[in-house]
Amino acid sequence: MACTAIRRAVADAGLELSDVDGFTSYMDRNEPVRMSAALGVGALNFTAQTFGGGGNGAAAAVTLADAAISAGYAETIVVFRALAQGQFHRYGQAGRPRRTRGAGAFTAPYGMLSAAQICAMQTMRFMHDHGVTQDSLAEIVLTCFEHAQRNPRAIRYGTPLTREEYHASRWIAEPFHLYDCCPENDGAAAIVVTTKERARDCAKAPVPIVAAAHGLAHRDGVAAFGEANFPTAHHRHVGAKLWERAGCGPQDIQVAQFYENFTGPVLMAIAEMGFCEPGELNDFVADGNIRWPDGGLPINTAGGNLGEGYIHGFGNVVEAVRQVRGESTCQVADVELSLSVSGPGYAPGSAVLFGRG
Amino acid sequence: MSVLPEDWALPAPNAITTAWFTSGTIAVQTCEACGARQHPPEELCHRCGSMAFTYPALSGRGTLHSYTVAHYAVNRALAEHVPYAVVLVSLDDAPELRVVGNMPGVPIEDIRIGMAVEAIWEERHADDGAVILLPQWQPASG
Repeated sequence: MACTAIRRAVADAGLELSDVDGFTSYMDRNEPVRMSAALGVGALNFTAQTFGGGGNGAAAAVTLADAAISAGYAETIVVFRALAQGQFHRYGQAGRPRRTRGAGAFTAPYGMLSAAQICAMQTMRFMHDHGVTQDSLAEIVLTCFEHAQRNPRAIRYGTPLTREEYHASRWIAEPFHLYDCCPENDGAAAIVVTTKERARDCAKAPVPIVAAAHGLAHRDGVAAFGEANFPTAHHRHVGAKLWERAGCGPQDIQVAQFYENFTGPVLMAIAEMGFCEPGELNDFVADGNIRWPDGGLPINTAGGNLGEGYIHGFGNVVEAVRQVRGESTCQVADVELSLSVSGPGYAPGSAVLFGRG
Repeated sequence: MSVLPEDWALPAPNAITTAWFTSGTIAVQTCEACGARQHPPEELCHRCGSMAFTYPALSGRGTLHSYTVAHYAVNRALAEHVPYAVVLVSLDDAPELRVVGNMPGVPIEDIRIGMAVEAIWEERHADDGAVILLPQWQPASG
């Protein structure tokens, strides 16, 4: 799957595999050494993955490619992510720890084992602090499902969800119902990052990386909910850096993709990226404001992890590119700036802003 | 009394976590050189880099900062134990530090953010004979 996604991305760009001289990814098992041999790419000049757990690396992996190309270490890097969870994991299951060491010793003995539970603990406090309602969590899900109805590639295409079905669905880890949790599936996605000069000669109009950021604030990496700013999606710092580098702000953004591991961290990330204050979230997501076509900030326009499918959030990066190219199934008109925010709830956070060429 | 199976995961204490898991006190890692406190314990002080620590006992009183109720058993061994609550407690004498635990014997519907709690210890025996005093929480006695 990884090879197929890479071959198609390179072909879509109008390049040859022999042009590729680097790979970046995050938490991926597909070794660039093996991939480069399997794909028959040219000489390899750069490979890197981001540190830290989870889909927070999706936008960060683009940052790595941008950094390497800007510094001249490579010319054409494929950023990819491929998941074969059926092959390597049991979906939604955690192993049974016996004797736990490190940070896990402070959580696993209490039955705190899964990403859903971790993000639930953060979200419960966030909702308490800012009066965020269960209906606002639902709004994220319903938006993703609605957008997925227009995307024939989406896993939820043809299976819409009602607010009543959301609220009636079983609990996974309070405050998360079943539909607050992104399903897991196998899949792969890739984009090609190259120099400005080469991009001009590609098959399609280039999509510039306006700015990217990944990181976390001082002492926000403390394990077992010890983050200095708990509860945080880790995007307060990322947002500040991104807007500073881009020379613009959230008010300039017409469309955004927010990685949904779970709905709560999406709400936290919307506020931390500066789109509204946490206390304004209920209003911000209400009345279709985050839905295509009439919302002020349509999000997750392909359906996101919840509706389109789970490629560890890399689908949300690809969709941000589609929005600039005019290729989305929920296309926002005249997109100048297209944002993708990755992996809230797990440190470090990351985000990438694409622009028009 | 235990929220999870009797033979569920236990910590394997080491030099920096033994006080926390075996002393029967809320023994917070405190830097001998600069006095900074940190939890979970680390090998070095985040403020000054010292590797010399003491583990003084705090009061064991806390405030419930957050919680979740796990309904889905992520491991088969937990299937008969869901739903169970996992709580996060901020320590009253070190509010910047938060501790994960359960509230054995407390009905889930009684668990509320902001409630006053106090530490109790669950005595558990590991396969290798080690005795673990696992910090847990109950409503404060007043």
